[in-house]
Amino acid sequence: MKKKKLKTNDRHIHGLSQLLNDKQAILYHKEDLISYDCDGFTIHKSLPRAVVFPHSTEEVARIVKYCHDHALPFLARGAGTGLSGGAIPLNNEVIISLVKMKRLIDIDLDNRRAVVEPGYVNLKLTNQIIERGYYYAPDPSSQYCCTIGGNVAENAGGAHCLKYGVTTNHILGLELVLPNGEIVEIGGNGVLDEPGYDLLGLITGSEGTLGIVTKIIVRILKNPEGKQTVLAYFDDIEDGSQAVSDIISAGIVPAALEMMDKTAIEGVEAASFPVGHPKDIAAVLLIEVDGIAAGIDDQIEQILSVCRNRNVREVRAAKNEQERAAWWANRKTGFGAMGAISPDYLVQDGVIPRSKLPEVLRRINKISEEYGLRIANIFHAGDGNLHPLVLFDARIPGETEKALAAGSACLKVCADVGGTITGEHGVGIEKREEMRFVFTDEEIAAQTDIRSVFNTDNLLNAGKLFPSPSRCAEVKKEMKEKIIG
Amino acid sequence: MAVSQQKLKQPACKDGVSNYLWSDAPDETKWADCVHCGMCLESCPTYEQTGQEQHSPRGRVYLIKSVAEGKLTVNEEFMDPVFACLDCRACTTACPADVDVGGLIEEARGQVRQAIPLKGWKKSVNKLFLHGIFPHENRLQTLGGLLKFYQKSGMQTLVRKTKLIQIMPKHLVDMEAVMPNIHSSVKKKHRNGSVIKAKKESKREVAMLTGCVMDVMFSDVNESTINVLTHNGNDVHIPQNQTCCGALHVHAGDRDMGRKLAKQNILAFENDETVIVNAAGCGCMMKEYGELFKDEPEWREKAEALADKVEDISKFLYDTGYEKPTASLNKRITYHDACHLAHGQGVREEPRDLLLNIPGVEMVHMPNADRCCGSAGIYNITNPEMAGAVLESKMENVPDDVEMISMGNPGCMLQMAIGVKKHGRSQKIVHTVQLLDWAYQKESRG
Repeated sequence: MKKKKLKTNDRHIHGLSQLLNDKQAILYHKEDLISYDCDGFTIHKSLPRAVVFPHSTEEVARIVKYCHDHALPFLARGAGTGLSGGAIPLNNEVIISLVKMKRLIDIDLDNRRAVVEPGYVNLKLTNQIIERGYYYAPDPSSQYCCTIGGNVAENAGGAHCLKYGVTTNHILGLELVLPNGEIVEIGGNGVLDEPGYDLLGLITGSEGTLGIVTKIIVRILKNPEGKQTVLAYFDDIEDGSQAVSDIISAGIVPAALEMMDKTAIEGVEAASFPVGHPKDIAAVLLIEVDGIAAGIDDQIEQILSVCRNRNVREVRAAKNEQERAAWWANRKTGFGAMGAISPDYLVQDGVIPRSKLPEVLRRINKISEEYGLRIANIFHAGDGNLHPLVLFDARIPGETEKALAAGSACLKVCADVGGTITGEHGVGIEKREEMRFVFTDEEIAAQTDIRSVFNTDNLLNAGKLFPSPSRCAEVKKEMKEKIIG
Repeated sequence: MAVSQQKLKQPACKDGVSNYLWSDAPDETKWADCVHCGMCLESCPTYEQTGQEQHSPRGRVYLIKSVAEGKLTVNEEFMDPVFACLDCRACTTACPADVDVGGLIEEARGQVRQAIPLKGWKKSVNKLFLHGIFPHENRLQTLGGLLKFYQKSGMQTLVRKTKLIQIMPKHLVDMEAVMPNIHSSVKKKHRNGSVIKAKKESKREVAMLTGCVMDVMFSDVNESTINVLTHNGNDVHIPQNQTCCGALHVHAGDRDMGRKLAKQNILAFENDETVIVNAAGCGCMMKEYGELFKDEPEWREKAEALADKVEDISKFLYDTGYEKPTASLNKRITYHDACHLAHGQGVREEPRDLLLNIPGVEMVHMPNADRCCGSAGIYNITNPEMAGAVLESKMENVPDDVEMISMGNPGCMLQMAIGVKKHGRSQKIVHTVQLLDWAYQKESRG
């Protein structure tokens, strides 16, 4: 923070500093860099070469061009809450932190859209417009602090994506700095189906491998007229899972349908936002319906009766907004809450067909027993997006590897039952090898070909999203052993 | 000092790689709960200003852990983020896993201060206030007397008019400009140690911490506290051997001095059942005295016993019941949550309830009311730039159309007064109990 002369012999640090309007907006001391050696995924660590803090698209473009011209690996980072390691500088990258680009540029209620910079925090957008009757729908659990730029990179989901869709369904336009430093704009007219290829769809969820997003036009929605949340406790997790299927089969599309199992409940109740869930239940469901006020009560009645038919121990609607908020705070801080019962955790992000829920839970339970590690389950049950949280202690030699293998085995189960390996957290470093569960070598090669159209020299966020081709055969063998053995 | 020579090689980490070289090192169990989720980021005022990970709670915890793991050493670059923390505890509220970031920061500061003793003007400021004045009642009184003389003799006017004041650093000028009128010390007034009797029927006896800064700068708040307590059936005991709570010392990494003061207070309040505190920072510190005595189990036990007896004035009134005033004040008021009340002690609703029960008080909501104002003990003296930026954000949230801003901490009162003055606003800064006292007074006048 103090004005200091740069104390380094690294000529590129001096070079990058010269490109910034604020010459101090660069970090390069080890002490300043160490907290950038990982993001929300803490298993892999690697120090960046430097961290720069641009304030404008032009600055981003200048930095990117410099990196491109000097063949320096680089990547973009938002709040660093990603759970798959997308912002970890595996190759000693220059990190371009976008947190200083955090302006809300425009709110256009007539056309129901807003323009934000990538460092703008997700929840802030809703907070800005809620009193005028609008909100931004994608609500990842980290929405208190994650950035919309990061959400675009990961195509983030959230509890309410069951009814409203994930980030890609809410992006109308992007400004992007390509890996050679060129600035381009995509979409932006607010037309949902523009002629030509769906480039917005390609960029959203590309995990920062195709370019750096510097401006985002998002769709905003009108607040639902009514909203109600139901809480249901089950003694048997299969009953809970069946209730999930029954609710959807009954033709109700809840805004959110969340489930936590016994271990997850132990975690959230031991942490900062307990709400008094009984410790001896097998599963809790959190079901929210919203829409036109007139239909809400009927839907709630239907949900209550579905739950009762499935041997629910206790089921009730929230008494008031305060109680509703408390239930959600308890659920949304669920991952962090694992800190209260375990020193480390690895969160997985599988997707399965809803009907397979009981079977998959049984198999995850078996994996937990096999590896001798506790696995808590928190998930968006409504859309079959599972988050098994493998609890471990990194200080015990070998336990990290065991946790990784157990996590991988969970994903294998998801892929086996016709699902896939990620619903919303991205592949990053974490699930690179598991991409092989769902894609053939040819399919992966086709995708890396697309990457090279944008990211020709692979200087931008290299080593993420896809398994490295050279290790192909070896990895396959290793994975096979890991899963069978 | 003897302390700096006692290199008690007690590594904090089991495998002996820790680079913390002194005892009372950051406690591993405190960071073991952090899973790096990042939920704390947006709660942190210094992260809001800098956007830098090492200036966030998660980053600071990571750095503190890295020293214990032997990846970093206790040096200037480590010191910067550790001392730039406001110690506002907003992260503790935000953290899903209840990580005690504040406790870790204070322990880390203790290590830093031993490895890198202060130099230059920061050393002088620390030494003058933390060792030279706050712990010494007589000197505090003298300072109070001098300030009073400065105000009453016309010297203040002279200094301001002749621009002599410009030789002081900018932030001290700001502080001088909002210095409250100095009244007489409450502790001195009740020097004989006798108990101040309840106005009507006595229900119980409570002790009161008069504080150091509070009793010099805001002794009128102390007067109001006594009035409100006695009005509600409490006899008030003011132990004369009590001293400064030591919070400022512990925030500054001077844990030895903190322990010394803590011990004196533990003994001073040993025979009291309830200890009423009207300064959020002091209350929070006293509730955490136990943390200072990890290596002295006997004192730890006593410290924890005291902690259980400490109660913020607003919470005490709320819990024990208080007479609702009948006279009307007719004021539009907003409430600022002192960090060490809201985040430190979980006291949020009680002071608001007190205010709402005063007839004619209209409460106006302040967005982000529990965001730090930048006062943070003596942070606004040692880190004026950051404190100023944090204050700017705070002032943006203060509603325009209120007459008063109420709060429960003397540091905040000074800092908010600076904010009001800088922005050319007109709000009066008041302590919550003052309002209640004024309402009672108006009532008795009829």
